[in-house]
Amino acid sequence: MRLSQTTLHRLRRIDLLLVTAAFLALLPLLGMQRTTDFIIFCVYVVAFDVLYGHMGRLSFGHMLYLGTGAYGASLCAAHLSENPFVALAVAISAGAAVGLLLGPIVVRTTGACFALINLAFNMVGHFLVLIAFAHWTGGEDGASASFSKVGPLDVGDRQHMFVLALASLVGVVWLVRRLTGSPFGILLRTVKEKEERVGFLGYDTRRHKLLAFVVSTSLAAFAGGLSTLNYTYVTPSFMDPTRNVEVIFASLIGGAGSVYGALVGGVTYMTISNFLPKYIERWEMFLGIALVILVFRFRAGLWGWLVARVAPRRDSGLGVQP
Amino acid sequence: VIGTIAYGLTIGGIFYIISIGLSLTFGTMRIVNFAHALVYTVGAYVLMVALRSQIGFVAAAAIGIVATIPLAWAVERFVIRRLYGQSIDYAIIATYAVLLIGVDGLKWLFGATPIPLSDPIGKHLTVLGVALPVYRLVIIALAIAVFAGLEVFFRRTVVGKVVVAGLEDKEAVRSLGLSVDRYFSLVFVIGSALAALGGILYAPITTLHPYMGFHVLLLCFAVVLVGGLGSMRGTFVAAFALGMVMALTGRFWGPAAETMVFATMAVVLVVKPIEV
Repeated sequence: MRLSQTTLHRLRRIDLLLVTAAFLALLPLLGMQRTTDFIIFCVYVVAFDVLYGHMGRLSFGHMLYLGTGAYGASLCAAHLSENPFVALAVAISAGAAVGLLLGPIVVRTTGACFALINLAFNMVGHFLVLIAFAHWTGGEDGASASFSKVGPLDVGDRQHMFVLALASLVGVVWLVRRLTGSPFGILLRTVKEKEERVGFLGYDTRRHKLLAFVVSTSLAAFAGGLSTLNYTYVTPSFMDPTRNVEVIFASLIGGAGSVYGALVGGVTYMTISNFLPKYIERWEMFLGIALVILVFRFRAGLWGWLVARVAPRRDSGLGVQP
Repeated sequence: VIGTIAYGLTIGGIFYIISIGLSLTFGTMRIVNFAHALVYTVGAYVLMVALRSQIGFVAAAAIGIVATIPLAWAVERFVIRRLYGQSIDYAIIATYAVLLIGVDGLKWLFGATPIPLSDPIGKHLTVLGVALPVYRLVIIALAIAVFAGLEVFFRRTVVGKVVVAGLEDKEAVRSLGLSVDRYFSLVFVIGSALAALGGILYAPITTLHPYMGFHVLLLCFAVVLVGGLGSMRGTFVAAFALGMVMALTGRFWGPAAETMVFATMAVVLVVKPIEV
């Protein structure tokens, strides 16, 4: 089935509604709590994809930024304020601060260097929360966090948390779509294609790359903060360096380079990881084999595959740039 | 103090032996080969199995190294070379996938519980009143021997010279009519065999477990970055320097040892940024 340009255009205009409707449709299938988990993971995948899909930088250590947000929110609840919005603000600022601190070292590099320097910092962060700052973070046991009500909103209530998460996701999707559609987004994609030439045009690529990096770390930290609100506890597994493959897998299976692809990938990965381990005993082997297939045979991901069926034109604006 | 220095040199020697392969793949192709960690782990596991049949440590080590060669060759031929030139990111992800598959396979066969190995020499040498295990001194000597051997290989033999030239400028070497890739895949296999050797040498000092390769790979990557990309001598110096960092930190605060290595790497990267 092919959709005409006008239909596509109309669909694109109501995409935030469609995203909301899609997650509401998942509710009866998954239940409130699971759907909230899915949504928060999707925020994280979108954040990762700003760097990987749009700027072409593969981070192998994005758990660091997720964990920064998660611990930021929990420490805020313990020492500063139990207001969930303050906690989220602290989480985002913590992510931005870490991004600004590490960014100048990281964004100069590409490819393997970028991937592994992020991973090395992730190991350092994991050590810090697990051992060095165990007095504040609770070490291996983690720490619980409680949040107060704000007006009618009570994040302890499953329904309220679901609404907050969904609203956050829609906000993030809107923001990232605006960002990637702007001249700044075009610049990022040009950096991905050929960075030297962007420099020839007179742009300060490093500043733009740093900005994109900080946006990505802040959004990842936002996802971390949301998961602290959701679970009301935080453990070092939120910063576990060996879990980085999850978001890479999600981004690839959905289709990198499109915010919708990131959502499809997030939901697909969460579905697989929630329901398949019951049947698959060798989980890491399954992930490895699936990754090999994705890398060799299925690069556009599910979303890219769908777009190629429905709207093969390049300028559909939905596309995935593998 | 002497014990700590000796330990640092031992770790440095092992770092060096493992880092060569990484430094070569990284210097030539800009790819991080996660499967390097798998080769390292598999080498150690094959050693462990071979030791059960009561043959000597040296023979078991040789079996371990030989057994990993087909694995390394297959990774180079079917994963890295097929993806190289298309996307570095895909190549990195694919080698990581190979590592996941392999590690899970090892867990399947041998379980996830750490397996200790005993010191194959077991004798101690007293230096200035400190007893040092002879085995560790052997490792340091081996690392220096490997360094000397590679120096000769890269400066005296034709194959080595082609590889060094390829590290400088791959296109120029290719335009001389030499198929650089074939030389590189030979060097790749040598680098992997050395990684297996590193795993075999390190196994008796620590314990065997399926995830042993993850940390070592990252530490060795720090070595490669600090030593300078594709610089063989830089890798040698950086390996021993970071080995000392790890040993000295470990003496005062054990859990921080690895983190200090990464912190050192961060400082080096701030002072001397890498732009590739």
